[in-house]
Amino acid sequence: MEEIKAYIESGILELYVLGDVTPNEKRQVEEMASKYPEIKTELDGIERSMELYAKENEVEPSKNLRSRVLGSLLTNLGDDRNFTAAPRHTDVEDDTDIADEEDDNIIPLPARKENDFYKYAFAASLALLIASTIALVSVYSKLQDSNNQLVALQLDKQHFANRVNLMDKELSVFRDTSYKLIHLKGTAKTPSSVVTVAFSPGQKKVVIDMANMKMPENDKEHQYQLWALVGGKPVDLGVFDAKRDTITDIKEMKSIASADAFAVTLEPRGGSVNPTMDQMMVLGKY
Amino acid sequence: MSKKHKISLSEEELVLALRNHEKIAVEALYDMYSSSLYGVISRIVIDTAIAEDVLQETFVKIWHSFSSYTTEKGRLFTWMVNIARNLAIDKIRSKDFKNQNKNQEIENNVTSIDSQRSTVYKPELMGVKELVQSLKPDQKSIIDLVYFKGFTHVEAAEELGIPLGTIKTRLRMGIQELRKYFN
Repeated sequence: MEEIKAYIESGILELYVLGDVTPNEKRQVEEMASKYPEIKTELDGIERSMELYAKENEVEPSKNLRSRVLGSLLTNLGDDRNFTAAPRHTDVEDDTDIADEEDDNIIPLPARKENDFYKYAFAASLALLIASTIALVSVYSKLQDSNNQLVALQLDKQHFANRVNLMDKELSVFRDTSYKLIHLKGTAKTPSSVVTVAFSPGQKKVVIDMANMKMPENDKEHQYQLWALVGGKPVDLGVFDAKRDTITDIKEMKSIASADAFAVTLEPRGGSVNPTMDQMMVLGKY
Repeated sequence: MSKKHKISLSEEELVLALRNHEKIAVEALYDMYSSSLYGVISRIVIDTAIAEDVLQETFVKIWHSFSSYTTEKGRLFTWMVNIARNLAIDKIRSKDFKNQNKNQEIENNVTSIDSQRSTVYKPELMGVKELVQSLKPDQKSIIDLVYFKGFTHVEAAEELGIPLGTIKTRLRMGIQELRKYFN
Protein backbone atom coordinates (compact mmCIF):
# COMPACT_ATOMS: atom_id res chain seq x y z
CA MET A 1 0.00 0.00 0.00
CA GLU A 2 3.03 2.21 0.37
CA GLU A 3 3.27 2.05 -3.39
CA ILE A 4 -0.22 3.40 -3.84
CA LYS A 5 0.40 6.18 -1.33
CA ALA A 6 3.57 7.15 -3.16
CA TYR A 7 1.68 7.17 -6.45
CA ILE A 8 -0.98 9.40 -4.99
CA GLU A 9 1.60 11.73 -3.50
CA SER A 10 3.60 11.96 -6.73
CA GLY A 11 1.10 14.56 -7.94
CA ILE A 12 0.33 12.72 -11.16
CA LEU A 13 -3.36 12.53 -10.27
CA GLU A 14 -3.55 16.31 -9.97
CA LEU A 15 -1.85 16.74 -13.32
CA TYR A 16 -4.26 14.20 -14.81
CA VAL A 17 -7.24 16.23 -13.62
CA LEU A 18 -5.65 19.44 -14.88
CA GLY A 19 -5.22 17.84 -18.31
CA ASP A 20 -1.46 18.12 -18.12
CA VAL A 21 -0.42 14.53 -18.83
CA THR A 22 0.84 12.64 -21.88
CA PRO A 23 -1.48 10.06 -23.47
CA ASN A 24 0.65 7.32 -21.88
CA GLU A 25 0.41 8.80 -18.39
CA LYS A 26 -3.30 9.26 -18.95
CA ARG A 27 -3.79 5.60 -19.74
CA GLN A 28 -1.64 4.65 -16.77
CA VAL A 29 -3.66 6.78 -14.34
CA GLU A 30 -6.93 5.35 -15.64
CA GLU A 31 -5.55 1.84 -15.27
CA MET A 32 -4.37 2.50 -11.72
CA ALA A 33 -7.73 4.06 -10.82
CA SER A 34 -9.65 1.04 -12.05
CA LYS A 35 -7.27 -1.28 -10.20
CA TYR A 36 -7.07 0.51 -6.83
CA PRO A 37 -10.20 2.00 -5.22
CA GLU A 38 -7.99 4.28 -3.08
CA ILE A 39 -6.67 5.92 -6.19
CA LYS A 40 -10.12 6.15 -7.69
CA THR A 41 -11.38 7.87 -4.51
CA GLU A 42 -8.44 10.23 -4.45
CA LEU A 43 -8.95 11.06 -8.12
CA ASP A 44 -12.65 11.66 -7.55
CA GLY A 45 -11.87 14.02 -4.69
CA ILE A 46 -9.47 16.03 -6.83
CA GLU A 47 -11.94 16.16 -9.69
CA ARG A 48 -14.78 17.33 -7.48
CA SER A 49 -12.69 20.07 -5.90
CA MET A 50 -11.47 21.31 -9.27
CA GLU A 51 -15.00 21.21 -10.59
CA LEU A 52 -16.16 23.31 -7.66
CA TYR A 53 -13.21 25.64 -8.10
CA ALA A 54 -14.20 26.10 -11.73
CA LYS A 55 -17.74 26.74 -10.56
CA GLU A 56 -16.46 29.40 -8.17
CA ASN A 57 -14.74 31.08 -11.10
CA GLU A 58 -17.51 30.63 -13.61
CA VAL A 59 -18.22 33.31 -16.19
CA GLU A 60 -21.67 33.43 -17.68
CA PRO A 61 -21.67 33.66 -21.47
CA SER A 62 -24.09 36.03 -23.17
CA LYS A 63 -27.71 34.95 -23.04
CA ASN A 64 -28.30 34.50 -26.73
CA LEU A 65 -25.42 32.06 -26.94
CA ARG A 66 -27.63 29.44 -25.29
CA SER A 67 -30.09 29.25 -28.17
CA ARG A 68 -27.22 29.44 -30.66
CA VAL A 69 -25.38 26.50 -29.11
CA LEU A 70 -28.54 24.46 -28.55
CA GLY A 71 -29.58 25.22 -32.13
CA SER A 72 -26.29 24.01 -33.53
CA LEU A 73 -26.48 20.83 -31.43
CA LEU A 74 -30.10 20.04 -32.09
CA THR A 75 -29.92 20.39 -35.84
CA ASN A 76 -27.97 17.16 -35.60
CA LEU A 77 -31.01 15.47 -34.14
CA GLY A 78 -32.92 16.40 -37.25
CA ASP A 79 -36.19 16.80 -35.39
CA ASP A 80 -36.52 20.24 -33.95
CA ARG A 81 -40.32 20.12 -33.65
CA ASN A 82 -40.16 18.01 -30.57
CA PHE A 83 -37.72 20.38 -28.98
CA THR A 84 -39.54 22.36 -26.35
CA ALA A 85 -38.20 25.36 -24.59
CA ALA A 86 -36.92 24.75 -21.12
CA PRO A 87 -39.59 25.12 -18.44
CA ARG A 88 -39.34 28.41 -16.63
CA HIS A 89 -40.88 30.20 -13.72
CA THR A 90 -43.58 32.52 -14.85
CA ASP A 91 -43.03 35.62 -12.85
CA VAL A 92 -43.30 39.02 -14.48
CA GLU A 93 -39.61 39.42 -15.06
CA ASP A 94 -39.33 36.09 -16.78
CA ASP A 95 -42.05 36.79 -19.32
CA THR A 96 -39.89 39.32 -21.04
CA ASP A 97 -37.03 36.92 -20.86
CA ILE A 98 -38.94 34.21 -22.65
CA ALA A 99 -39.94 36.64 -25.35
CA ASP A 100 -36.32 37.63 -25.75
CA GLU A 101 -35.25 34.06 -25.81
CA GLU A 102 -37.74 33.13 -28.51
CA ASP A 103 -36.67 36.02 -30.63
CA ASP A 104 -33.14 34.87 -30.17
CA ASN A 105 -34.01 31.45 -31.47
CA ILE A 106 -34.06 32.87 -34.94
CA ILE A 107 -30.48 33.43 -35.87
CA PRO A 108 -30.15 35.42 -39.07
CA LEU A 109 -27.59 33.96 -41.40
CA PRO A 110 -24.85 36.48 -41.83
CA ALA A 111 -25.03 38.09 -45.22
CA ARG A 112 -22.08 37.08 -47.31
CA LYS A 113 -20.87 40.56 -47.87
CA GLU A 114 -17.46 39.45 -48.93
CA ASN A 115 -18.77 37.61 -51.98
CA ASP A 116 -20.89 40.57 -52.96
CA PHE A 117 -17.93 42.81 -52.65
CA TYR A 118 -15.88 40.72 -55.07
CA LYS A 119 -18.79 40.50 -57.46
CA TYR A 120 -19.20 44.28 -57.54
CA ALA A 121 -15.49 44.82 -57.65
CA PHE A 122 -15.28 42.51 -60.65
CA ALA A 123 -18.15 44.25 -62.40
CA ALA A 124 -16.62 47.63 -61.65
CA SER A 125 -13.25 46.64 -63.01
CA LEU A 126 -14.86 45.18 -66.11
CA ALA A 127 -16.75 48.40 -66.70
CA LEU A 128 -13.58 50.36 -66.10
CA LEU A 129 -11.73 48.15 -68.57
CA ILE A 130 -14.36 48.69 -71.27
CA ALA A 131 -14.47 52.42 -70.64
CA SER A 132 -10.71 52.76 -70.81
CA THR A 133 -10.56 50.67 -73.97
CA ILE A 134 -13.08 52.97 -75.63
CA ALA A 135 -11.19 56.01 -74.42
CA LEU A 136 -7.94 54.52 -75.67
CA VAL A 137 -9.38 53.83 -79.13
CA SER A 138 -10.81 57.33 -79.42
CA VAL A 139 -7.59 58.94 -78.24
CA TYR A 140 -5.66 56.76 -80.66
CA SER A 141 -7.81 57.77 -83.62
CA LYS A 142 -7.43 61.42 -82.63
CA LEU A 143 -3.71 60.91 -82.52
CA GLN A 144 -3.82 59.39 -86.01
CA ASP A 145 -5.78 62.40 -87.25
CA SER A 146 -3.29 64.76 -85.71
CA ASN A 147 -0.40 62.85 -87.22
CA ASN A 148 -2.02 63.00 -90.63
CA GLN A 149 -2.57 66.73 -90.27
CA LEU A 150 0.99 67.12 -89.18
CA VAL A 151 2.22 65.28 -92.28
CA ALA A 152 -0.02 67.40 -94.48
CA LEU A 153 1.24 70.56 -92.82
CA GLN A 154 4.82 69.48 -93.24
CA LEU A 155 4.22 68.80 -96.92
CA ASP A 156 2.65 72.21 -97.24
CA LYS A 157 5.55 73.77 -95.43
CA GLN A 158 8.00 71.95 -97.67
CA HIS A 159 6.10 73.13 -100.71
CA PHE A 160 6.18 76.71 -99.55
CA ALA A 161 9.84 76.47 -98.63
CA ASN A 162 10.58 75.24 -102.12
CA ARG A 163 8.52 78.02 -103.54
CA VAL A 164 10.30 80.61 -101.44
CA ASN A 165 13.63 79.21 -102.63
CA LEU A 166 12.52 79.51 -106.24
CA MET A 167 11.25 82.98 -105.71
CA ASP A 168 14.54 83.88 -104.14
CA LYS A 169 16.34 82.51 -107.16
CA GLU A 170 14.01 84.40 -109.44
CA LEU A 171 14.49 87.57 -107.50
CA SER A 172 18.23 87.16 -107.60
CA VAL A 173 17.99 87.15 -111.38
CA PHE A 174 16.14 90.41 -111.31
CA ARG A 175 18.35 91.96 -108.64
CA ASP A 176 21.53 91.02 -110.46
CA THR A 177 22.42 94.05 -112.54
CA SER A 178 24.51 92.00 -114.96
CA TYR A 179 21.32 90.44 -116.35
CA LYS A 180 19.71 92.03 -119.28
CA LEU A 181 16.17 91.36 -120.25
CA ILE A 182 15.57 90.59 -123.89
CA HIS A 183 12.02 90.37 -125.19
CA LEU A 184 11.81 87.98 -128.06
CA LYS A 185 8.93 89.09 -130.27
CA GLY A 186 6.79 86.89 -132.41
CA THR A 187 7.69 86.43 -136.06
CA ALA A 188 5.17 86.66 -138.85
CA LYS A 189 4.18 83.06 -138.07
CA THR A 190 3.02 83.80 -134.52
CA PRO A 191 2.90 87.57 -134.07
CA SER A 192 1.38 87.47 -130.60
CA SER A 193 4.10 85.29 -129.08
CA VAL A 194 6.46 86.79 -126.51
CA VAL A 195 9.33 85.13 -124.71
CA THR A 196 11.43 87.00 -122.17
CA VAL A 197 15.03 85.95 -121.81
CA ALA A 198 17.44 87.23 -119.17
CA PHE A 199 21.04 87.06 -120.25
CA SER A 200 24.14 87.74 -118.20
CA PRO A 201 27.26 87.69 -120.35
CA GLY A 202 29.46 88.04 -117.24
CA GLN A 203 28.02 84.93 -115.59
CA LYS A 204 27.37 83.21 -118.88
CA LYS A 205 23.81 82.52 -117.88
CA VAL A 206 20.62 82.46 -119.89
CA VAL A 207 17.29 82.26 -118.14
CA ILE A 208 13.80 82.03 -119.62
CA ASP A 209 10.84 83.59 -117.86
CA MET A 210 8.39 80.70 -117.97
CA ALA A 211 5.66 82.42 -116.04
CA ASN A 212 5.02 85.22 -118.47
CA MET A 213 5.79 83.39 -121.66
CA LYS A 214 3.19 83.64 -124.41
CA MET A 215 3.59 80.76 -126.83
CA PRO A 216 1.21 78.31 -128.52
CA GLU A 217 1.27 74.97 -126.69
CA ASN A 218 3.54 72.41 -128.27
CA ASP A 219 2.40 68.81 -128.80
CA LYS A 220 4.09 65.73 -127.50
CA GLU A 221 6.29 65.17 -130.52
CA HIS A 222 7.67 68.68 -130.56
CA GLN A 223 9.53 71.00 -128.23
CA TYR A 224 10.69 74.54 -128.44
CA GLN A 225 14.41 75.09 -128.76
CA LEU A 226 16.26 78.25 -127.78
CA TRP A 227 19.08 79.38 -129.95
CA ALA A 228 21.70 82.05 -129.59
CA LEU A 229 22.98 83.70 -132.71
CA VAL A 230 26.69 84.22 -132.36
CA GLY A 231 28.37 85.84 -135.38
CA GLY A 232 25.42 84.79 -137.53
CA LYS A 233 25.64 81.14 -136.45
CA PRO A 234 22.96 79.47 -134.31
CA VAL A 235 24.11 77.89 -131.02
CA ASP A 236 21.84 75.45 -129.19
CA LEU A 237 20.80 76.62 -125.71
CA GLY A 238 18.44 73.77 -124.82
CA VAL A 239 14.79 72.87 -125.19
CA PHE A 240 11.68 73.77 -123.24
CA ASP A 241 7.95 73.20 -123.26
CA ALA A 242 5.43 75.93 -123.60
CA LYS A 243 3.12 74.14 -121.25
CA ARG A 244 3.76 76.04 -118.12
CA ASP A 245 5.78 74.10 -115.60
CA THR A 246 4.03 74.33 -112.24
CA ILE A 247 7.13 74.20 -110.13
CA THR A 248 9.45 76.61 -111.81
CA ASP A 249 8.75 80.11 -112.96
CA ILE A 250 12.13 80.46 -114.56
CA LYS A 251 14.26 77.97 -116.40
CA GLU A 252 17.97 78.21 -116.71
CA MET A 253 19.28 77.28 -120.16
CA LYS A 254 22.74 76.26 -121.35
CA SER A 255 25.40 78.82 -120.73
CA ILE A 256 26.92 81.06 -123.31
CA ALA A 257 29.33 83.94 -123.04
CA SER A 258 28.04 86.20 -125.78
CA ALA A 259 25.18 86.40 -128.21
CA ASP A 260 23.97 88.81 -130.81
CA ALA A 261 20.39 87.63 -130.77
CA PHE A 262 18.12 84.91 -129.39
CA ALA A 263 15.53 82.90 -131.26
CA VAL A 264 13.13 80.06 -130.53
CA THR A 265 12.18 77.44 -133.10
CA LEU A 266 9.79 74.50 -132.94
CA GLU A 267 11.78 71.31 -133.27
CA PRO A 268 11.15 67.58 -132.88
CA ARG A 269 11.19 66.55 -129.20
CA GLY A 270 14.74 66.58 -127.86
CA GLY A 271 15.88 69.37 -130.14
CA SER A 272 17.82 69.50 -133.36
CA VAL A 273 21.44 70.23 -134.20
CA ASN A 274 20.47 72.98 -136.60
CA PRO A 275 17.41 75.19 -136.28
CA THR A 276 14.54 74.65 -138.62
CA MET A 277 14.35 78.20 -139.82
CA ASP A 278 10.84 78.10 -141.15
CA GLN A 279 9.64 77.09 -137.65
CA MET A 280 11.11 80.18 -135.99
CA MET A 281 8.55 81.47 -133.53
CA VAL A 282 10.20 84.47 -131.83
CA LEU A 283 13.33 86.48 -132.30
CA GLY A 284 15.02 89.25 -130.32
CA LYS A 285 18.29 91.09 -130.59
CA TYR A 286 20.62 91.54 -127.68
CA MET B 1 -27.61 33.64 -9.14
CA SER B 2 -29.49 33.54 -12.41
CA LYS B 3 -33.09 34.56 -12.41
CA LYS B 4 -33.83 31.88 -14.96
CA HIS B 5 -34.68 28.42 -13.89
CA LYS B 6 -32.12 26.12 -15.32
CA ILE B 7 -32.41 22.43 -15.91
CA SER B 8 -30.33 20.43 -13.54
CA LEU B 9 -29.87 16.67 -13.45
CA SER B 10 -27.63 14.41 -11.50
CA GLU B 11 -24.47 13.53 -13.35
CA GLU B 12 -25.60 9.91 -13.79
CA GLU B 13 -28.95 11.00 -15.24
CA LEU B 14 -27.26 13.46 -17.51
CA VAL B 15 -24.75 10.96 -18.87
CA LEU B 16 -27.52 8.46 -19.53
CA ALA B 17 -29.70 11.06 -21.24
CA LEU B 18 -26.77 12.22 -23.37
CA ARG B 19 -26.06 8.66 -24.45
CA ASN B 20 -29.68 8.33 -25.52
CA HIS B 21 -29.41 11.60 -27.46
CA GLU B 22 -32.28 13.12 -25.55
CA LYS B 23 -32.96 16.75 -26.22
CA ILE B 24 -33.46 17.56 -22.59
CA ALA B 25 -29.88 16.38 -22.01
CA VAL B 26 -28.50 19.00 -24.33
CA GLU B 27 -30.24 21.76 -22.46
CA ALA B 28 -29.25 20.38 -19.10
CA LEU B 29 -25.68 20.03 -20.27
CA TYR B 30 -25.60 23.64 -21.32
CA ASP B 31 -27.34 24.98 -18.24
CA MET B 32 -25.20 22.99 -15.84
CA TYR B 33 -21.78 23.52 -17.34
CA SER B 34 -21.69 26.45 -19.80
CA SER B 35 -20.64 29.02 -17.18
CA SER B 36 -17.94 26.84 -15.66
CA LEU B 37 -16.53 25.94 -19.07
CA TYR B 38 -16.78 29.52 -20.24
CA GLY B 39 -14.88 30.58 -17.13
CA VAL B 40 -11.92 28.58 -18.38
CA ILE B 41 -12.31 29.47 -22.09
CA SER B 42 -12.75 33.20 -21.51
CA ARG B 43 -9.55 33.38 -19.46
CA ILE B 44 -7.58 31.86 -22.32
CA VAL B 45 -9.38 33.57 -25.21
CA ILE B 46 -9.90 37.18 -24.21
CA ASP B 47 -12.00 38.27 -27.19
CA THR B 48 -15.63 37.65 -26.18
CA ALA B 49 -16.90 36.79 -29.65
CA ILE B 50 -14.12 34.28 -30.25
CA ALA B 51 -14.44 32.85 -26.75
CA GLU B 52 -18.15 32.26 -27.34
CA ASP B 53 -17.32 30.57 -30.64
CA VAL B 54 -14.96 28.29 -28.75
CA LEU B 55 -17.66 27.51 -26.20
CA GLN B 56 -19.99 26.56 -29.03
CA GLU B 57 -17.29 24.40 -30.64
CA THR B 58 -16.73 22.80 -27.24
CA PHE B 59 -20.35 21.75 -26.91
CA VAL B 60 -20.44 20.51 -30.48
CA LYS B 61 -17.35 18.42 -29.83
CA ILE B 62 -18.73 17.10 -26.54
CA TRP B 63 -21.95 16.17 -28.28
CA HIS B 64 -20.24 14.46 -31.21
CA SER B 65 -17.60 12.58 -29.29
CA PHE B 66 -19.74 11.71 -26.32
CA SER B 67 -19.54 8.03 -27.17
CA SER B 68 -15.85 8.11 -26.25
CA TYR B 69 -16.62 9.23 -22.70
CA THR B 70 -17.03 6.55 -20.07
CA THR B 71 -17.60 6.98 -16.35
CA GLU B 72 -14.46 4.93 -15.73
CA LYS B 73 -12.50 7.83 -17.08
CA GLY B 74 -13.64 10.00 -14.23
CA ARG B 75 -16.09 12.80 -13.85
CA LEU B 76 -17.88 14.29 -16.81
CA PHE B 77 -16.73 17.80 -16.07
CA THR B 78 -13.06 16.81 -16.02
CA TRP B 79 -13.45 15.34 -19.48
CA MET B 80 -15.35 18.38 -20.78
CA VAL B 81 -13.07 21.02 -19.31
CA ASN B 82 -10.10 19.37 -21.01
CA ILE B 83 -11.90 19.57 -24.35
CA ALA B 84 -12.72 23.22 -23.71
CA ARG B 85 -9.19 24.11 -22.65
CA ASN B 86 -7.62 22.33 -25.62
CA LEU B 87 -9.96 24.03 -28.10
CA ALA B 88 -9.26 27.42 -26.52
CA ILE B 89 -5.50 26.90 -26.70
CA ASP B 90 -5.78 25.62 -30.27
CA LYS B 91 -7.72 28.77 -31.11
CA ILE B 92 -5.18 31.27 -29.79
CA ARG B 93 -2.37 29.35 -31.44
CA SER B 94 -4.16 29.05 -34.77
CA LYS B 95 -2.99 30.99 -37.78
CA ASP B 96 -6.50 32.31 -38.21
CA PHE B 97 -6.51 33.84 -34.77
CA LYS B 98 -3.08 35.37 -35.18
CA ASN B 99 -4.05 36.90 -38.51
CA GLN B 100 -7.20 38.25 -36.99
CA ASN B 101 -5.18 39.92 -34.30
CA LYS B 102 -2.97 41.54 -36.90
CA ASN B 103 -6.02 43.23 -38.33
CA GLN B 104 -6.95 44.86 -35.09
CA GLU B 105 -6.19 48.43 -34.27
CA ILE B 106 -2.83 49.04 -32.72
CA GLU B 107 -4.21 50.33 -29.44
CA ASN B 108 -6.39 47.24 -29.14
CA ASN B 109 -3.37 45.12 -29.75
CA VAL B 110 -1.51 46.58 -26.83
CA THR B 111 -3.97 45.04 -24.41
CA SER B 112 -4.51 41.89 -26.37
CA ILE B 113 -0.80 41.25 -26.62
CA ASP B 114 -0.53 41.83 -22.92
CA SER B 115 -3.36 39.55 -22.11
CA GLN B 116 -3.08 36.87 -24.76
CA ARG B 117 0.47 36.58 -25.99
CA SER B 118 2.57 37.46 -23.04
CA THR B 119 3.35 34.65 -20.71
CA VAL B 120 3.70 37.06 -17.85
CA TYR B 121 1.44 35.93 -15.04
CA LYS B 122 -0.95 38.66 -14.07
CA PRO B 123 -3.51 37.62 -11.49
CA GLU B 124 -5.39 40.88 -11.89
CA LEU B 125 -5.91 40.13 -15.60
CA MET B 126 -7.07 36.61 -14.99
CA GLY B 127 -9.95 37.78 -12.89
CA VAL B 128 -10.01 34.61 -10.87
CA LYS B 129 -12.09 35.20 -7.79
CA GLU B 130 -10.49 35.30 -4.41
CA LEU B 131 -13.20 33.29 -2.73
CA VAL B 132 -10.89 30.58 -1.63
CA GLN B 133 -9.11 32.36 1.19
CA SER B 134 -7.29 29.33 2.49
CA LEU B 135 -5.37 28.96 -0.78
CA LYS B 136 -1.88 30.41 -0.48
CA PRO B 137 -0.95 32.82 -3.28
CA ASP B 138 1.93 30.66 -4.49
CA GLN B 139 -0.36 27.62 -4.68
CA LYS B 140 -3.17 29.57 -6.29
CA SER B 141 -0.97 31.07 -8.98
CA ILE B 142 0.17 27.62 -10.11
CA ILE B 143 -3.34 26.17 -10.14
CA ASP B 144 -4.66 29.18 -12.04
CA LEU B 145 -1.85 29.11 -14.60
CA VAL B 146 -2.39 25.43 -15.36
CA TYR B 147 -6.15 25.24 -14.97
CA PHE B 148 -7.27 28.59 -16.34
CA LYS B 149 -4.44 29.56 -18.64
CA GLY B 150 -3.62 26.17 -20.12
CA PHE B 151 0.03 26.20 -19.09
CA THR B 152 1.71 22.85 -18.63
CA HIS B 153 3.30 22.45 -15.23
CA VAL B 154 6.68 22.59 -17.01
CA GLU B 155 5.79 25.94 -18.54
CA ALA B 156 4.47 27.15 -15.20
CA ALA B 157 7.79 26.18 -13.59
CA GLU B 158 9.68 28.25 -16.15
CA GLU B 159 7.24 31.11 -15.88
CA LEU B 160 7.41 31.32 -12.13
CA GLY B 161 11.06 30.33 -11.90
CA ILE B 162 10.33 27.46 -9.55
CA PRO B 163 11.79 23.92 -9.75
CA LEU B 164 9.53 21.30 -11.28
CA GLY B 165 9.32 19.28 -8.07
CA THR B 166 8.22 22.32 -6.11
CA ILE B 167 5.57 23.06 -8.73
CA LYS B 168 4.14 19.55 -8.38
CA THR B 169 4.18 19.77 -4.59
CA ARG B 170 2.50 23.15 -4.48
CA LEU B 171 -0.07 22.03 -7.02
CA ARG B 172 -0.90 19.04 -4.87
CA MET B 173 -0.98 21.08 -1.65
CA GLY B 174 -3.14 23.70 -3.27
CA ILE B 175 -5.66 21.15 -4.47
CA GLN B 176 -5.65 19.56 -1.01
CA GLU B 177 -6.53 22.99 0.38
CA LEU B 178 -9.36 23.27 -2.14
CA ARG B 179 -10.69 19.88 -1.12
CA LYS B 180 -10.66 20.93 2.51
CA TYR B 181 -12.37 24.18 1.63
CA PHE B 182 -15.13 22.58 -0.39
CA ASN B 183 -15.76 19.87 2.17
